[in-house]
Formats: sequence, structure tokens, C-alpha cells
Amino acid sequence: MLKQFKSIIILAMIALVTICGASSCKSSKKLSKKEYKMLVAQATKDLDAILNDETEWTLEEQLERIEEIKKIDFSKKNPEIVEKIELAEIKVSKAIAERDRLAELKRIEEEQRLRELEEQNKPKTGLAELFDLIANATDVNTANKYIREALDLFESPDAVVLIRLNNFGDYDRPTTAVNYLNYLKDQKKVTVGVDNVKFNAENKITELELIKK
Amino acid sequence: MKKVLFAIAFAFFALTGYQAFAQEPELSPERKQAIDSLALEKVRDLSKYIKLIGSKNTPWSEANRVIDRAEELFAPDAEIGVSSLAKKNIEYFKVRPYLERLMRLNYDRVEIDWYKIQYVSDLQRQPDGTYVGVITIFQTFKGYDAEGRLVYQDTTKKDITVYVKRKETQIGGRLIGFWDVLLGDMRVKETTIK
Repeated sequence: MLKQFKSIIILAMIALVTICGASSCKSSKKLSKKEYKMLVAQATKDLDAILNDETEWTLEEQLERIEEIKKIDFSKKNPEIVEKIELAEIKVSKAIAERDRLAELKRIEEEQRLRELEEQNKPKTGLAELFDLIANATDVNTANKYIREALDLFESPDAVVLIRLNNFGDYDRPTTAVNYLNYLKDQKKVTVGVDNVKFNAENKITELELIKK
Repeated sequence: MKKVLFAIAFAFFALTGYQAFAQEPELSPERKQAIDSLALEKVRDLSKYIKLIGSKNTPWSEANRVIDRAEELFAPDAEIGVSSLAKKNIEYFKVRPYLERLMRLNYDRVEIDWYKIQYVSDLQRQPDGTYVGVITIFQTFKGYDAEGRLVYQDTTKKDITVYVKRKETQIGGRLIGFWDVLLGDMRVKETTIK
């Protein structure tokens, strides 16, 4: 009786091992037809979405998906998928290269913009140089050219120009940008330094404060 | 009785005058120096304007613009004296007619130079707070004909009264105190050949 019971146990164990072993082999070694069909459908759907720009995946995610699809060998039964993989790879690689090129271009443009903004934010030097150029111009036309250049820095030709005489709150009669620049042309001398500049949102000077040297 | 009334009136005006005077403190030497220089600079500016207006090389539009700037330096009723070696009388013109006349002088070339620009009477504070002084200048005038020959020249000494008044204005929400310099009459003191 005991011998029979032992035999039943051994048979049961063999059956169990056989069943488990078979199922494990099925998942790791060979795909069922149904599974393969599902993979073909999914791969086709994903590749078509990539090729037709119908996916919301990032380019990196698309590339990752293509790599995953490539792990399955479709060459024998579905060579059209292999073809789509190649096309998708080329498409995504080109898109990544173009995106990187545009990003680089944007970075360069941004750097340029920041440099220009920095330059614009330093009008003290620019204005002082223009003052000298206007005062030392050899003729009226040259002086007027520099005046026009200087006026471009102002919000309007009538922007206020204050001339501080000292540090005791004493000023000369307030004037305007256009009148002060013409004054430099007429008097052919610069007796002031740029002390304070106020800008509007467009980075144009709204108020200029000069101080007597 | 008249003497008593006069004394009371004198005392009253002296006192109120003193009070008005006392409202504004004396300027420190540094600030006084700043307004002295400012007034002198305005006269120097005028000398450049006169030179430009008189010059036949100055384009018409520029000369007219400079006339506007020069006119702004003067008090509204100021007059400018004009002398000539050929005339005994000194003619006085309002500022704008004087400057326009200067622009149209009947010479082919005109040279005007100012020198020895200095105070003959320092800026003195008046009871109303205005500072008044007199600056003297020497002006040489040379007129040339089409052949480049010097046909007229003289040197004139002129006295210019200057008024400097403290004013205030609001700019960008800020109260700015500024010194408004205005030139008054420009009187001919003497004219000589040179």
C-alpha cells in the first residue's frame, strides 16, 4: 500500500515537472502563432505610426521602440516589417539630427541675442562714445549722422536729459535728447559724463542723467 | 511825523525783506561756484552760437536752429546793442531780430570771436532769491568781401547781465531743483578799431 502511494507521488511529481517544463519552454524559446500574429500587428501599427508621424512618443522613445521590434526576427515571414524598421530608423535618426541642429541654431541665436542685449544694456559706453563723435565731427553732415545714431538709443527725441552740476541736488535747466545732441554738435565739446540711464520695456532710454565733469 | 512814518515803513520793509532773504539759506561755496560756472558757460555757449549764426559756411537750416537755441538763452525782453565805427549811436535790438540780422550781414565771409569772458560783477543774491551778475566779453568782428579782402573790423567790449534763479520741476515723479540761467541785456561799452 505504502509502495503504491510512493509510486503515485512520484508519478504526480513527474507530471508536474513535465507540465511546468513545457510551459516554460513555450514562453522563452518559441512563439505561438497567435503570439507572433499579435507581435506583427503591434509592430506594424507602431512602425506605421512612427513613419506617418502619428505618435506622441518622443524621438528617443520611437528609437527605443524600433530597437525592441528589431529583437524579433520578422525577416522570414514578414519582410515588409524589416523594410519598415529600416525606413523608421532612417526617419527617426534624421529627425533627431534635425532637432539637434535646430537646437544648436537656437542656442547660437540665443547667445547672440543675450550678447546684443548685454551690449544694449551698456549704453553708457556707447552714448559717451557717440557724444565724443558728435562733438568732434569734422562737418555738420557727419555730426548729424551720429546724432541720428544716438537718437536711436532713445525712446523719443524728446526724452528728458538732466545735467547734474554737483552732488548737492543742483541741475542745469532740463533739456531733451535732440537738443542736447545738437548742443554737442554746436559747442564741439563734451563737459559731462553719463551718470544714470532709465530704459523702457523696449530697452530705449526714457531719461538720461548726465553729470558735469 | 513824516520821518516817523518813513522809519516805520523802512523797518517793515527791511524786516520782511530780511525774512524773505532768510527763507533760503546761503549757498555753500561749492554750490555758488557751480552756478557761477554755469552762468559763465551759458555766455560761452552764446559766443559759439553767434559765431555759427554769423558764419556764411553754416547751412541755412542749421543757422535757424541755432538761432532758436541762442534765443532760449535770453530773458524775454532782453536787448542786444550793436555798434559800428561808422556810427556814433548804439542801436539796440530784441534778441531774435539781432540774430536774424547777424545771419544776413552783407559780407561774403564773417568772423566773430569772443574772448576775455569774465565776471565784472559777481553773482549777488537779490531779495527774491535771484542771483544777478554781469559778465563782460570782448568781441572781434571781421567782414570780408568776395575777393577775400578784409573790409571791416572792430573790437567791442560788451557787458551781459545774467540772472540765475532756482526753479523746480517734476520729472518722472521726481522733484528736480535746477538753476535757470537767463541772459539779460547785452550793452555795448566801447568799440575800437583793431
